[in-house]
Amino acid sequence: MRRVVVTGLGCVAPVGHSVPDFWNAVVAGKSAIGKYPQHVPELIAHVVLAPVLNFNADALFDSKKLILLDRFSQFALIAAREAVKDAGLELTEAERPRTAVVLGSGIGGNTTHDEQYQRLAKANNPRVHPLTIPRLMLNAATSQVTMEFGTTGPAYSISSACASANHAIGQAFWFVRSGLCDVALTGGSEACLTIGTIKAWEALRVMSNDTCRPFAKDRRGMVLGEGGAVIVIESLERAQARGARIYCEIAGFGMSSDAGDIVYPEEKGAASAMESALRDGGIAPDQVDYINAHGTGTAANDSTETGAIKRVFGDHARQLAISSTKSVHGHALGAAGAIEIIAAIKALETGTVPPTANYTEPDPQCDLDYVPNEARQKKVRAALSNSFAFGGLNAVIALRQLA
Amino acid sequence: MSEVAQKVVDIIAREMKVEPGTIKLESSLEDLKIESLDVVQIVFAIEETFDITIPSNDKEYELKTVADIVRGVERLMAQKSGGAKPAAGPAA
Repeated sequence: MRRVVVTGLGCVAPVGHSVPDFWNAVVAGKSAIGKYPQHVPELIAHVVLAPVLNFNADALFDSKKLILLDRFSQFALIAAREAVKDAGLELTEAERPRTAVVLGSGIGGNTTHDEQYQRLAKANNPRVHPLTIPRLMLNAATSQVTMEFGTTGPAYSISSACASANHAIGQAFWFVRSGLCDVALTGGSEACLTIGTIKAWEALRVMSNDTCRPFAKDRRGMVLGEGGAVIVIESLERAQARGARIYCEIAGFGMSSDAGDIVYPEEKGAASAMESALRDGGIAPDQVDYINAHGTGTAANDSTETGAIKRVFGDHARQLAISSTKSVHGHALGAAGAIEIIAAIKALETGTVPPTANYTEPDPQCDLDYVPNEARQKKVRAALSNSFAFGGLNAVIALRQLA
Repeated sequence: MSEVAQKVVDIIAREMKVEPGTIKLESSLEDLKIESLDVVQIVFAIEETFDITIPSNDKEYELKTVADIVRGVERLMAQKSGGAKPAAGPAA
């Protein structure tokens, strides 16, 4: 099997519309979380969120194209443009059918859904926009990326709620590793801050009303975010042959399902996905120096994830640096794994571990090293990026320095 | 049992598919085997019945027992009839 490396990064997140801006904010623990009453309808003005602000789609896309782009497709395209440019990626005609696009999204064209249904139900308007379907379909972002970059290989979207992007990245990784493809653009995008979706999360009573404090004793729940991130991955041979800058290796991918509760996470399932990722990558637990945790800030996730990490790493669990960057950029659902793997890749590249922001005091049930509030200089030989979805679907990516 | 308490008990009984007589005011939700997804459905049914919004993440509205729920509903009903502004939502 071939080795697979990361050669390009791109993202749009609440704390920055590019990887450098995002990374600076994540390292500084500069949280984008707050109330944005001037940006949202009155019914949700009190909700604590992490929106992408000042994203000027009119300036970024031709108007003929923009009419086809839900906000989640816009995020995917801008992230893909940055990643392709960052990688210096140029595809020959022969390479196009051997280039994959696999993106995750939990919901798809949520903004389009909300807008068009409001026309019908609220404004009592008998018609919706004729391009509603091509905008809202969950594969729209993936299709738009294939069209913009002329890739003709395997392409589809993956939806597994909060694990969507990690499942997508893992699938793309296996395409390249197996030899089916040489290059892939992969990641995820989500634009879920619509009135309907926010109200639905509120009804589930898991949203925080101050901020996101993963692993802290007084954590109050999750904070919804949005955004998109795309990485360029390719075979090691191809990257070396073209003299590409290589960030790190994608070493392994692990998946599992809890087969338990539709919303409540289980330690065993999370542990199994981490173990599978390590085994798939041939990484010994004590080689891992950093985990970008799922760390949603809910009572249930953070204690369960802590237990799972202990189960997998034993004594080494206390040597690990663990952080949840959701404390800075919120929970972008189907894009979360993509945004967060950028942070994990940058940690490997720079030897800087981003902090868990907004951390107050330790919880006896969360008693590991969560890098509270201050970034840390630490050599990261290997890292895991965790995503554990509602529905008990778990996906973990293992990254490693290219030796 | 007050009228509000009786309605709350009836809603819980309906959602949990048990006889109302088995539910006591001092019963904890845990004793009644009411899990997190049951809680949100019960809260929703109560909110719809009384046309109120029960705040979440609020120490004043920690719903550990049936009596906690009844007290919360009575307080929100009093605010409503007293002309006080009803809670706009869980984070208000």
